[in-house]
Amino acid sequence: MSTANLKMLNRYHVIFLAQSIMIGTGILSLPQKLSAMGYTEWFMPVLFGVVATLTLWPMVWLCSKYPNENLFRINEILLGKVIGKVINLFFVLQFIVFSAGIISNYMHLIQSTALQEQTITLPVICLLLLLVYIISGGIKSIARFCMMTFFITIGMFYFTRWAIEKGEFSHLIPLFNFDWQEFFDAFKKGYLSILGYELIMFYFPYIIDQKKAYRHSLIGIWISIFLCFFTTVVSVIYYSEWQLKNVEFSVLNLFKAGEFSFVERIDIIGITLWVFLILSSITAYVWCAKLGVDSLLKKKRNYQLFLLAAIIFLIVRMPFSREFQEKLFTTSNYIGYMLIIWPIFLSVIYVVRKKKVQQ
Amino acid sequence: MNRKLLGISLILLVLLVGCSRKELKVPLEDVGMVGIMAFDYIDEKQMKITVAIPQYSPEAQQKTQIFSVATDLVSSGIVEIEKLSDKKIVFNQLRVVLINEEFARKGQVRKVIQHLYRNAEVGNKVLIAIAKDNAETILKGDYPDKPNIIFYINDLLEPSINTAFNPNTNLHDFIYTISNPVTDTILPYIEKLDDKLEIKGVAVFKGNHMEELIKPEEALIIQALQGRKNLAPLHLDLHEGHGEEKLMIDLIESTIKMRSNKSIESPKLIINLKIKGTLSEYKGAREYELNTVESISHLEKDINKQLEEDITKFLDKLKNMDVDPSGLSEKFRMYYDGKWTTKKTREVIGKLKTEVHVETSIISTGTLK
Amino acid sequence: MPEQIVAKLKKEINDVDDVKLNMIATEEGDVTLIYFSSLIEKMTLQTMVSIPLTNNIKQIHQMAQYVDPKDIQGVIKRLNAGQTLLFFHETNALLSMDTYSAPTRAITNTETEATVIGPQDAFTESLETNISLVRRRIQSAQLKNENRIVGSEANIKISIMYMDNIVNHKNLDDLRNRIDQVEFPLFTDISVLKQLIEDNPLSPFPQYYMTVRPDSICRYLIDGRIVMFMDNSQLAIVCPTSFFEMFVSIEDYYNRWTTASLLRMLRFFGFFLTIMITPMYISALTFHPEILPYELLLNLQESRSKVPFPPLIEVLFIELIIEVLREAGSRMPAKVGQTIGIVGGIVIGTAAVEAGLLSNILIVLVATSALLSFLPPIFLMSNTSRFVRYIFILSAGLFGLFGQMLAFAWLIHHLLSLKSLGTHYMTPGIPRKPSDLLDNVIRFPTKYLAKKTGISRAQKKQPEGK
Repeated sequence: MSTANLKMLNRYHVIFLAQSIMIGTGILSLPQKLSAMGYTEWFMPVLFGVVATLTLWPMVWLCSKYPNENLFRINEILLGKVIGKVINLFFVLQFIVFSAGIISNYMHLIQSTALQEQTITLPVICLLLLLVYIISGGIKSIARFCMMTFFITIGMFYFTRWAIEKGEFSHLIPLFNFDWQEFFDAFKKGYLSILGYELIMFYFPYIIDQKKAYRHSLIGIWISIFLCFFTTVVSVIYYSEWQLKNVEFSVLNLFKAGEFSFVERIDIIGITLWVFLILSSITAYVWCAKLGVDSLLKKKRNYQLFLLAAIIFLIVRMPFSREFQEKLFTTSNYIGYMLIIWPIFLSVIYVVRKKKVQQ
Repeated sequence: MNRKLLGISLILLVLLVGCSRKELKVPLEDVGMVGIMAFDYIDEKQMKITVAIPQYSPEAQQKTQIFSVATDLVSSGIVEIEKLSDKKIVFNQLRVVLINEEFARKGQVRKVIQHLYRNAEVGNKVLIAIAKDNAETILKGDYPDKPNIIFYINDLLEPSINTAFNPNTNLHDFIYTISNPVTDTILPYIEKLDDKLEIKGVAVFKGNHMEELIKPEEALIIQALQGRKNLAPLHLDLHEGHGEEKLMIDLIESTIKMRSNKSIESPKLIINLKIKGTLSEYKGAREYELNTVESISHLEKDINKQLEEDITKFLDKLKNMDVDPSGLSEKFRMYYDGKWTTKKTREVIGKLKTEVHVETSIISTGTLK
Repeated sequence: MPEQIVAKLKKEINDVDDVKLNMIATEEGDVTLIYFSSLIEKMTLQTMVSIPLTNNIKQIHQMAQYVDPKDIQGVIKRLNAGQTLLFFHETNALLSMDTYSAPTRAITNTETEATVIGPQDAFTESLETNISLVRRRIQSAQLKNENRIVGSEANIKISIMYMDNIVNHKNLDDLRNRIDQVEFPLFTDISVLKQLIEDNPLSPFPQYYMTVRPDSICRYLIDGRIVMFMDNSQLAIVCPTSFFEMFVSIEDYYNRWTTASLLRMLRFFGFFLTIMITPMYISALTFHPEILPYELLLNLQESRSKVPFPPLIEVLFIELIIEVLREAGSRMPAKVGQTIGIVGGIVIGTAAVEAGLLSNILIVLVATSALLSFLPPIFLMSNTSRFVRYIFILSAGLFGLFGQMLAFAWLIHHLLSLKSLGTHYMTPGIPRKPSDLLDNVIRFPTKYLAKKTGISRAQKKQPEGK
């Protein structure tokens, strides 16, 4: 795409893109995903933050070698046209399934709390229309939306006040009370919740100040990590270990603890407001998918965004069994990990090739 | 692109409103919002579910509709009730769950409550209480001076300073305590007296079943040990060499500090309780001496001794019952590496040695000298 | 060939009966006066043309301009602009004198944007008066005004005003371009022109600020904005502007900062309240009764028990009644309008509740939201809030709170993607520079407000002081 030369993301955009993409449905069930470790799970988000910091580095390093290309193009450059295109197609599919997973997860939550006894076909269509509307504004528009999302939804943290009041801080000790089996289990399931920062490989060419992109992304990542950490700690002090394991959407139940004199159930307001967070993360994923489709097709077309939305809709509402859907989404989640390791692999290829050229 | 999309979305939105009519949404006035749900024990398999639904219609003779059915599963019981009612039964305004004593002792309390906990419709602030004898008769009872049984029971169980011994256990607390190995559940216990209801005390669970009923004064100690800041007025009988003395301390602020020796093999717990309050009433030999600082500090010491005795006695009682409603074993779990189980709690409580220190300070003796 | 010219002229102005041709005998021979009698007052004609012509013809030569008689179109333009042409038969010279003196309205108080404190004068429909009202306040050579003619048929004069040393010239060129591209036969008001040069004409939101208050215009001029006037239009346009400025009243700067901040918060959050209250009623009643307190719900159940329609229809019904009342009231003479208000408010309201058509709680909500919708000082914004509210009502009817949040996300994104003359409309939401926050929902004490706002993208180099 020729627009790749257009630098338009300033530092605030970079910070909040990194931050908002990470917070989606993941944080809702993060305490449950980590529950294999029992009460000791609360420091895990910090560890995730460290891992994210380390894995972000090769991504930015690789991208800084190609300041005007996104990962789809880099794939083609480093791996050759054919293999690159195959890998790109794979990525596009991954993004589609991944965002479909987020939507499906969230819409089922909505169905069980806010829209009981309703089919979710129409809400999904409306959500996707809005999604297309936001994406058609381009990455800058997504970044601005992410920024607003952060400031609109950050107030929700006040809703955990009641849970903190009731919580037992003694749950936080003993520290490191786990075995490695539990640790790996929790790590494998929990790290998913903070995925999203890897998309910098796709919007990197649009960043104005590319030298500082690493630092700005890190700020965003650590804001998110702090939010995850906070949620996990509040969940740990508020719940018993059994509840941590069995309450799927811990955050939802944290909201249930509070009430105002005029609003009795904050959880419904919280969970519907969550749509901002969902939108801010899936728009970025679908935008990347669209970028991939653009790189696969030579001709630029206008309808591919609608096509993507239609595919997502089919995946979410397809007549397959729930079991198959679950399997599909978990697989795509694990493939998500691959995307984190991918730049390391590419960097190795880059270094090897460069040496060859020099020789 | 943007403009087209804007137009398309607007048009779609308007058109889609038409579709929403297809889905049958029951309007508010045709919904029966259950306020109280009561469970009674029939036999091992069967239970009786009673629900109370408020009637808003001014023409209705009764303010509340009450339905009871016998069933083996909660959800099938609800279906049965739907058949009896002219409205759609919803649980999103459930306020109180009553469980009769027999059901609490023998029935599947945990399963029933867990069923409600799982239901996203039901809030977490539903209060739970044990009813003596029959919960259904409490709902069906006649309370001539109360307009509505639902509000009556709800207000009765709501926190208030004079019933601060009441643990106000709600749905979350119940699940939290029953699933947490370090604590045993406590629930308020209500009894029907002719046309009144009274909170008689607190029911202590052991595991998933009710074990014992304890008196309000003892329940107050549980609250103090759990670290509640404001306690109910404390009524004390002193026997410290001045004959029989009766006194009442009001507006109590308490702080508690516990230190454990971190050993599971020979657990020992040092409890420091500080209470601050107003001496609101006194009856006994020293009635006319209590106007100097010395005499008051003397009285404070006597109170300390009496309270220490009471608490130790109560802790011994809990030890004999082998239950831990105030979560003392949490102080040992905190220093234990590995998985904590209910069995360990029982072990610790069985062997627990306690040392109680109470520090009372009477801030004032009321407004009159 | 004077006769030929006159004949040509006559042909051009055929059937225009208010063109007068007067022949006057002077020292220099016969002179024909040609003018539009509808644009010139008799007194002016007498004192400026007729009397000097007969008594002191030198004065005429000093004051009048020579015009090329062959340029018939130019001559006609002059006539249309209210000038008087003098044709000297002896010398074949054509002179013109500016005698434009069409009756104008006096400067009066503003009715649409009245304030308690501050100057009370408002713009009138005369371009000269309006510019003079501004020039009186900013006495600087840097204050430029460019006149242009728009309207392919009607030839209407507009004037673009700006501070040359402050304004962003990119913005200015952009605006000039946009105006040049406009092709429209007639502009009856500047709002017509505004809609043609807006960034997104389909959006329900007004993207340029419009006001009739000269003090407010001057504030924006000094801030580096561009102001546009049109002849025969009372309103003036300010661009670029932001969403937030739609809730700013110039009186905020006259009030104490505490009061001003309070009022601003009220207006700003009032906008979100007015679009949220009635949809909230729908979603609470149809989808989430659990979010309301029990006692309130029982009350609602009781008052809704007689209402035959679902909440969505109920709300649409009463909102429509309110709109009807508003429309009916706004066209009536003041006294009749009052009666309509009373009839509508009290009679229909209470009667509808008693008849069981509406629940009384809804009446309270709808009345509140109708009042809240009048809070924005810019009338167009108030209309926008009415329109946006219907979107929220429909989406609440579709999916309850979830629908509302979707609509809210749409609103936020729409506002974020809107631009006003190339500047983001939501600028104070995402401030361009820290000093923007000082004059935001909270207005800081006046001494902190000297800096230019971020939206105007004022020139960096500025001489100190105003």
